[in-house]
Amino acid sequence: MKAIEKSFNSKASMNSFFVVIFLFFTMWIGTGQFTKVDWMLFGYMVASFIFFIGMTVRLTSWVMRPATHEMIKRSIQNMKAKKRQKRNVKAIIKTLIDNIILQKYIFKRGIYRGIQHWLIAWGCIGSLAITFGLTFGWMHFKLVDATTYQVVVFGVPTLKMHPDGLLAGLIFEGLNITATMLLIGVIMAIVRRIKNHDTQVTQRAEFDLVPLYILLAMTGTGLLLTVSYKLLGGWMHPQFQLLHQVTTVLFLVYFPFGKLFHLPIRPMAVAVPMNYQEEPGIDTKECVGCGELYSSDDQITDVQTILGKQMFDFKTNDGHQLSDYCPACRRKIRVMSQLNMKTPFGTSAEPVQTNNGIHIPGFGRERAETFYDAKGEK
Amino acid sequence: MKKVMYLEFERCIGCRSCQAACRECGGHDAKERNYVEYIDFFESRQTFPMMCMQCKDPACAKVCPANAIQITEEGVVLSAMEEKCIGCRNCTFGCPFGIPKFDFEENKMYKCDMCYDRTKYDISPMCASVCPSDAIRFIDHDEMMELRRRRTQMNLIEGKKPSENDKWQYVPEFFGVYSD
Repeated sequence: MKAIEKSFNSKASMNSFFVVIFLFFTMWIGTGQFTKVDWMLFGYMVASFIFFIGMTVRLTSWVMRPATHEMIKRSIQNMKAKKRQKRNVKAIIKTLIDNIILQKYIFKRGIYRGIQHWLIAWGCIGSLAITFGLTFGWMHFKLVDATTYQVVVFGVPTLKMHPDGLLAGLIFEGLNITATMLLIGVIMAIVRRIKNHDTQVTQRAEFDLVPLYILLAMTGTGLLLTVSYKLLGGWMHPQFQLLHQVTTVLFLVYFPFGKLFHLPIRPMAVAVPMNYQEEPGIDTKECVGCGELYSSDDQITDVQTILGKQMFDFKTNDGHQLSDYCPACRRKIRVMSQLNMKTPFGTSAEPVQTNNGIHIPGFGRERAETFYDAKGEK
Repeated sequence: MKKVMYLEFERCIGCRSCQAACRECGGHDAKERNYVEYIDFFESRQTFPMMCMQCKDPACAKVCPANAIQITEEGVVLSAMEEKCIGCRNCTFGCPFGIPKFDFEENKMYKCDMCYDRTKYDISPMCASVCPSDAIRFIDHDEMMELRRRRTQMNLIEGKKPSENDKWQYVPEFFGVYSD
């Protein structure tokens, strides 16, 4: 593996190469050795390849970060461990349903935001799935006889349906449905970005806004195509088609660099119940200072490894790491060291000296000489 | 941003105005992001205010597996980006000062961002603007240096001589972000 990696310019280029090879392979199978490639979609296809390369590059550098790497390493370890299988399955199912399918936590941030995000998320995922399915030829439709259509996925004939049936209608109108979801969601998002001053404080044009406007342009032109051929008898259809293609290419190429890139990162949320917190809000690790429960052993070990890898030295006098203390104790340590009260925190049997002897006590009252004697600092 | 935050823990009278002010800030959902705590309740009633140091090389951002914690041009360390934060709480454990807070309901981390919308324009952050005892101040860098110098002088008058390497421990804490 090392030898292969060395022959590439970087890890990202190696991964991209393999991803492209894999995509070509799936195309080869899906299109029956490239006999059924839809050349109308050539522009989309090239953009889809760029999309996957961009995603691979971003994801590669993301996984190489010590923090991400450590979390993924522990997740894989736990996935393999036989003892934890029950917890793993539970964590995966719970995260999938709560966080990804229903997105409950966003609804808790507000109904408006929840609806908006759900529409955009599933509109996006649906549209991307249909786009990639068609451009890479992963699926196509075959006419079996005059009244039967068949879906062929990766060369395997599957579902048969009547071309006027409900199922066929849903499949053929798939992109229209997802585009409508997207249109509503994106307009809601843009309205929120314009009206809500809080979001404007930290939003960045190239990161937060541009992806939304490209998304709007893409869904707008896409739906315009439907309007053109359904209601206007194909008026300006080729021009709209070109416009839609341009906006879609822009969207696909920009996707890995804007805020929509969080899509492939989100599934890592499964690592939280799987590795660290079986029940949300219930901790198992004791603070070295006050004995309060504040985290789990695995998580603190991971945090310390990550910090160590990045040359953070948070060792306290008593040989522990700062992360062995609960946040409240850490705040106290900071104050006490600033007030020059460096007792070995947490191990001292004496009460913490809060009068550090530096500032003037009692508004300028002079201190007795014996005070300094007691401290042995004459 | 030319001004800095200047904290003098001993001046804190424990009124918690800073926390109330923090709750009022837009986008905070009526949850405060700073702390007022007792140093040791059994020993004295001395409290201290605590907010984020806005580290140059923030440990919270470095332990975030989702790369969700961003630093602005001015050097302010922002709360985790809501779209990226996966809610693992690594930041709360990685932070050497115990600053980031976590919302289990909404599954996101939030922390003091020094009222970025205000301090960006050199307006005092909410907490500093209400502190009645000047425990939290938002002042010019020069003024801060002057206060530190005076503080050291007072210590000398007191008979406390800073030894070789702990000179800085004799002066109160300051932090701030400089766009250099």
